[in-house]
Amino acid sequence: MFINWALQEINLKIVYYGPGLSGKTTNLIYIHHKLDPSIRGDLVSLSTKEDRTLFFDFLQLEMGKIGGKTPKFNLYTVPGQVYYATSRKLILNGVDGLVFVADSQKERMEENLDTLLDLEKNLIEIGETLQSFPWVIQYNKRDLPNAEKISTLQRNLNYFNAPYFESQAHNGTGVFQTLKSIINRVVAHIQANGNL
Amino acid sequence: MNVEKGGNGQPVVLSGEMYKAISEVLSDLAAKTRAKTIIFADSNGHPITQRGQTSEINIPNMAALGAGDFAATSEMAKIVGEPGRFKYLYHEGEKSNVYLSSVTDNFLLLIVFDTNIALGMIRIFTKRTIEKLTELLNEAKGEEQKASEFLDVEFSTYLNKELDKAFNF
Repeated sequence: MFINWALQEINLKIVYYGPGLSGKTTNLIYIHHKLDPSIRGDLVSLSTKEDRTLFFDFLQLEMGKIGGKTPKFNLYTVPGQVYYATSRKLILNGVDGLVFVADSQKERMEENLDTLLDLEKNLIEIGETLQSFPWVIQYNKRDLPNAEKISTLQRNLNYFNAPYFESQAHNGTGVFQTLKSIINRVVAHIQANGNL
Repeated sequence: MNVEKGGNGQPVVLSGEMYKAISEVLSDLAAKTRAKTIIFADSNGHPITQRGQTSEINIPNMAALGAGDFAATSEMAKIVGEPGRFKYLYHEGEKSNVYLSSVTDNFLLLIVFDTNIALGMIRIFTKRTIEKLTELLNEAKGEEQKASEFLDVEFSTYLNKELDKAFNF
């Protein structure tokens, strides 16, 4: 978070986290594609030749003046693959809110769990924990025939009862609901926390 | 300003006075170096202020990439046994060069300049600028302005209206 009192500007960092190929970049691509260019920047993707995220994707939303203040939301994704652990940790530095993009497919449960544990471990290192940090879960790929039941996903992944959304990021289902929810959680967290 | 907190991802809150002081130092650097663009950002990639040609360069993206650049090379520094992050990074192009320097542990200065400007000159003036900025930032330690006071309840109502409009809800 960065606040500039002179300009009445607040910058917030929201990170999309999740296992490889769960749809984190797809969320950002959809947001970039759908939003009016006047309120969003260019999408930066640091990816490999095979289009897998190598370091991060970045997209800034700037909605103009709201109640006399200028909020800027900086959206990042992390690389999901296991061997990019260092990159994931670096991108979490300064994070204000998290979207955990889970892959709904039955056979990806283990990877979802491993990545969630990796997230919790990295959060602890920066002095936070999933229990108290603003985050939401997005169960992506709901349209696939092998998608796990929501109740099973909830039982396995959502220990702390974070708000959750069902999505199909490729066609936008659930993408903006998720984004609105995390933005609201972040703002509420700042307002409620007098120490910040 | 909570200068000490910035590095670990805690809020960085910049007072109006500090913003003015930093802006003056950067204007001075811009005049002396004739750099194309100068960006002062925090280590998390949030741009704070910029000088020079700012319309041709995507400032938020440059700042995010600069912070990423520093984050990646800090890990390299660790691997080779450096005690902290590298002091500066330099990228040389055919038309433009980019010079990134660390300002305390929590901020960075990013300078884009034409290849016909000598790197030595950029280095000398940047070094002086960093000294001035460090002094300013150290003076500000202890000043407390809270993020929670910045966002009132009214803000949330307005924000939700704007989000609904932007997201077509």
